Amino acid sequence: MEVHKLLWGYNGIIVLLLSGFMCVTQTKINQSMGARSFLEQVPALPMPAMESFLLTVFALALMVALGWIYRQSDAIKPHWQILVFFAEIGSCVLLMRSINLAYDGVVLLVVADIMCRYGGRHQEYLLVAAMLGLYFISNYNLAVFQMKVIPFDAYISYYEPTAQAALLAARNVFVSVNIALFVIYMVLLVKGKHEEKERIRLLNEKLGEANERLRAYAIEAERMAETRERNRLAREIHDTLGHALTGIVAGLDACILMVETAPDFTRAQLEKIRDTARRGMTDVRRSVKKLRPADLDKLPFREALTRMTEEFAASSGMDIHFTVVGWPESLREDQEEVIYRVVQEGITNANRHGRAKTVNLTIGSSEGKLRIIIADDGTGCENVKQGFGLRHMKERLELLHGSLNFWNDAGFIVEAEIPMNQEEDL
Amino acid sequence: MEERGKGQHRSMFFAVAGIILLLLAAVAYYVQGQERVLRIGVFAGNNWGVPQGNSYAVLDEAVEEFQKEHPGIRVEYVSGIKKEDYAEWLAEQVMGGREPDVFFILSDDFNLYASMGALMELSSFMEEDRDFRTENYYKAALDYGKYEDQPYALPCAGVPTLMFVNKSLLAREGIPMPGDDWTWKDFLGICRRVTRDTDGDGVLDQFGCYDYTWQQAAITNGVTLFREDGRASYFADARMEEAVRFMMDLRSIQKGREITSKDFDMGRVAFRPFSFAEYRTYKPYPWRIKKYMDFEWDCIKLPAGPSGRNTSELDTLLVGMSARTRMPKLSWDFMKKLCYDAGLQERILQDSQGLPVRRDVVLSAKARDIFRWETEGADMDIDALSEAMDEAVMPPKFKGYRAAMLYADTELTKIINGTIPFNNSLNKLQKEINAMLQY
Repeated sequence: MEVHKLLWGYNGIIVLLLSGFMCVTQTKINQSMGARSFLEQVPALPMPAMESFLLTVFALALMVALGWIYRQSDAIKPHWQILVFFAEIGSCVLLMRSINLAYDGVVLLVVADIMCRYGGRHQEYLLVAAMLGLYFISNYNLAVFQMKVIPFDAYISYYEPTAQAALLAARNVFVSVNIALFVIYMVLLVKGKHEEKERIRLLNEKLGEANERLRAYAIEAERMAETRERNRLAREIHDTLGHALTGIVAGLDACILMVETAPDFTRAQLEKIRDTARRGMTDVRRSVKKLRPADLDKLPFREALTRMTEEFAASSGMDIHFTVVGWPESLREDQEEVIYRVVQEGITNANRHGRAKTVNLTIGSSEGKLRIIIADDGTGCENVKQGFGLRHMKERLELLHGSLNFWNDAGFIVEAEIPMNQEEDL
Repeated sequence: MEERGKGQHRSMFFAVAGIILLLLAAVAYYVQGQERVLRIGVFAGNNWGVPQGNSYAVLDEAVEEFQKEHPGIRVEYVSGIKKEDYAEWLAEQVMGGREPDVFFILSDDFNLYASMGALMELSSFMEEDRDFRTENYYKAALDYGKYEDQPYALPCAGVPTLMFVNKSLLAREGIPMPGDDWTWKDFLGICRRVTRDTDGDGVLDQFGCYDYTWQQAAITNGVTLFREDGRASYFADARMEEAVRFMMDLRSIQKGREITSKDFDMGRVAFRPFSFAEYRTYKPYPWRIKKYMDFEWDCIKLPAGPSGRNTSELDTLLVGMSARTRMPKLSWDFMKKLCYDAGLQERILQDSQGLPVRRDVVLSAKARDIFRWETEGADMDIDALSEAMDEAVMPPKFKGYRAAMLYADTELTKIINGTIPFNNSLNKLQKEINAMLQY
């Protein structure tokens, strides 16, 4: 940022000017027999003129380098960054010492660096803390070194009164201009940050819209998948069951005609029909099998269920707590499938309609019944429109003589019941 | 993105390399300044304001011995700096960071340099050096090199104030020579007896004392004028009042006649306070003849006041070490050579006008020899001299001391001369001085 560079350049020039001024004055005092009376005025041992100037240059170069590294430190690890920052503060203190604390504007450079670098959430607090900290450092410096520093006035007093006034005025102008530059820098910085925030807000809005569209598209896609599934089912039924039934009907028609005249032939024919029916049944089983989720085939049921919830939690960002209180000894494939689908539908609804953050999924068996409760902390629903999802769940459950209940509480709660121990039914 | 990251890394490398180079330069700058020359700061002449022939005799001796003991070290000093120019010279060196490793310190400069940290604090050297024992020094001399109770300089030579006695005059008046334990009463009595008009022209032409100051009266009456930190004064002390009254009594004897140094040189004054340096300068052969040829004289201690002792201020010449010296150990060794070595301290007695600050050296047989040889019979009692050194008090040397004393002197002279009425004037003076000392 240009103002930032300007601030550094300006401070660098002032510091060098001040140091040069002190250096020249000290040499002049020495040459004009004023050394003893100068020493009377000062509470500390002055550094040799050239040495103090070199120290200033050194400290300034160090501070510029460290400040630069600090500002570039995207690549550096955070703790190194802190180290560099403290080194920068150290070089700042050294620089102030080298010019006998005659100018403390360099402190603002450090503040500018903090502000430039840090854009996190607690920026205001950090700024206040940094300002206070640096203020205390500079004052502490004053307090501790006051007895150990050559006052600027001692240098000034070497010159005649009119020149003294001019010099003091010049120094005050330097300080004021520095503060003005700093304020401009801060204003620009805050403005820049504000614009950045505005930009991020706009981007967020766009992202929200995109999300909404995506959701609509997902619903659409699901509907299409449903249609496709229906078509496939129709095709399957037509191809397998339809085919077999057509064959059976035609065979049976023949048998009806032939049963009186040729019982033996009819008998053979009936056997063929039975084979056809059996094949048809196998085909139906195969078709049904194709509809089952892949996980249900590959994994034990409970693991498949856990995996499904975990995957959903991971992809949707919801917290899903899966609790099992009593697991039935054995489950039939169709029961497994229904349970699987109910759970899937339940948590999908919680996410989609309830916008829930947490879902408590509990499965327990008692008194010959398996109970599934899916409770979310979402928005719930005032009057539940029984959509395709809920109706579908109900239908699936009713096939197993089960039932479905749902109501609003802290969120939306769905309860499904399936009677157990009816293995011999099939 | 990749390209930019690379550029950044290269710049980072340069920045780090730059910092390392800077640090190396700083170290190199520090190291190159080290060489094996020990520099000494010294002024020509002596500290006591008396003429002196070869003023560098003792120093040259110390340098020679030191170089012999430390081969490879060269000791350097700038000769020919006059005492009145020395303060400015030293200040310029200090400001330029070129001050000598070891230097003589004028009384006015000591507090200035000690307070601003130009002088090395010496207590650790003293403790670590097993040959060095502070008890060997006269206390007032050693204390003179302390600032806020820490030693910053070693005494090299000291000069107490004695009382010059015109023996011929006393003999003429039939008055016995007073002893070293005499008092104000004796002093006043003798002054009264000798102050008279000898040639009968109606004008006083013989006097008791010349140049006896109220400061000397105060010290011999046990007055401490200033608190140690130089922030308060004790002019209203009852003993100070005694001293002022004594000064007024002394002055009243002269009946308004001002005594001049000419009266003294002509042998018409019985007493005059004399520094030991003056004694050493005028007592030996050539000077004695030249300056005071008409009368016999000798020195005794100052008379004691009713609440004090036969004591005086000890004017001490200090030697300090620069806090920025690169050879502190060698500097200490040189300071020790100059200020502690028994042989060198003897040389001070022999070749300069000051007194050694080591008690054992002053009291040694060799010192007695030197004294006897130099003063040819009319000798000064060396035990009494050592006693005077032991009892001597250290003059204050805080920053505003000179200004405060100047003001006090003006006011007290007025009081003693009777220009200002005496009652309560000391209280007033104390208040005024205290106000001065607050700045």
